[in-house]
Amino acid sequence: MKATVPALLVLAAVLVQTAVVNRLPLPWGLAPDLVLLVVVGIALWSSPVAGAVTGFAAGLAVDVLPPADHEIGRTALLLCLAGYAIASVRDSGVRSGPGPYVAAAGTALGVTAGFVLLGLVLGDPRAQLPDAVWTLLGGTAMTLVVSPAVLVPTGALMRRITGDAYSDLPVPVTSGRGWR
Amino acid sequence: MRRDGSRARLVVGVLAAVSLVLVVLDSRAGTDPVTGAARTVGDAVFRPVSAGVTFAGAPFAGAYETLSAAQGSRERIDELERRNQRLQSRLQSRDYDEDRAERLDELLQLAGRGGYEIVPAQAVTRVTARGFSDTVTLDAGRDDGVRADMTVVDGDGLVGRVVQAGPSTATVMLITDHASAVGARLEDSQEVGVAEGASEETGDGTPLRFELMSADARMKEGQRVVTLGSHEDAPFVPGVPIGTISRVEDTPGRLSRTGKAEPAVDFGSLDVVGVIVAGPEDDPRDSLLPDPPQAAGGSDADGEGGR
Repeated sequence: MKATVPALLVLAAVLVQTAVVNRLPLPWGLAPDLVLLVVVGIALWSSPVAGAVTGFAAGLAVDVLPPADHEIGRTALLLCLAGYAIASVRDSGVRSGPGPYVAAAGTALGVTAGFVLLGLVLGDPRAQLPDAVWTLLGGTAMTLVVSPAVLVPTGALMRRITGDAYSDLPVPVTSGRGWR
Repeated sequence: MRRDGSRARLVVGVLAAVSLVLVVLDSRAGTDPVTGAARTVGDAVFRPVSAGVTFAGAPFAGAYETLSAAQGSRERIDELERRNQRLQSRLQSRDYDEDRAERLDELLQLAGRGGYEIVPAQAVTRVTARGFSDTVTLDAGRDDGVRADMTVVDGDGLVGRVVQAGPSTATVMLITDHASAVGARLEDSQEVGVAEGASEETGDGTPLRFELMSADARMKEGQRVVTLGSHEDAPFVPGVPIGTISRVEDTPGRLSRTGKAEPAVDFGSLDVVGVIVAGPEDDPRDSLLPDPPQAAGGSDADGEGGR
């Protein structure tokens, strides 16, 4: 039952990203990545398994929906690893103060860099380095600008679901974490 | 705790493996049944949501455009004032303007002249979160007769080609995409070359490069570039305007000439486009080409006037 809210959050983020954000006439052709932010927001309050599954599901949905400009599975792989990595962080400081934003920035950089790297491996002619660096920095900046609007409500919701399990525990107990 | 950690690693390993298998399946040539079915499902979900957003967002879209225009209105006014002066000084060359308007009109009737059958569609997305590719999603798909490797045009010229067609949506790779290369030739000298996308939106803003095949061939600013055409019209039909040469790059030591080109289509305001779904009964050959310039100096004047 606890999985319902994260699932709905991911679904909403994916649909808003593909149907609304991607059609905005944004400058430089760069869009903020709401799906990544929601995955970060959920993974911060989940177990590593739940984080990985959330990331995989969200990434797969993004891959499958139009525009079909990259291979199915590319985003799924990266967001799965990102969800796992964030949920594996033991330090509770990452959930308070500027922690979530640092996590979001790191994830945005990591996921975009991974996307370019996979493109290089797969022989994607668009993954060329000078351009990719611009996209990396610009896209991360865009994502960070909108991150409070996503991370704050997501964090509040997830905190409520998990019963505020971490507020008084310096080291979270793994078995009691998240929605799994 | 240890058991939980190893379980998590197992789950991540399995999911990562599944993703990689999907990537490999999808990157092979041709349509894979697994990823094809997945895209069909995604398409079925996307279409109603996108249509809903179009319906609900129509009032906001106007407001957004007004707002984003307000920011640059100062410069816009200055620019318009300058242009107004320039136009006034040019009133005497009215014949030239009339000629120009006539030609633009002819370009607008591009499709009818070649006798192509066109499916109109609207471009619904233009950016992606990763930002590498210049692709748009159209709200027409296989049900409307759109297939992969079809030419997409609008009133001004070539937009791109369909790379993926779902039941009711299609993904179009714009000619400005890095992965795009279009066989092309100069309209007047007939020299053959390749128009490649440069997609440098953060760079100097010229999204097209044109490279001549022959080492002896020359190009000059203001010359128009049209498509060369491909076997059985896939992916490009011949004779569609691609753009105008805006700068010739004279690199010593290069075997072939390259230049920057200004696309004929305004990709910033891409809206209604047409997908060429069927060719005419007989080959139109060069009937899409506008008439040759009247005077010998015609194309020079065109180049200066456009800048």
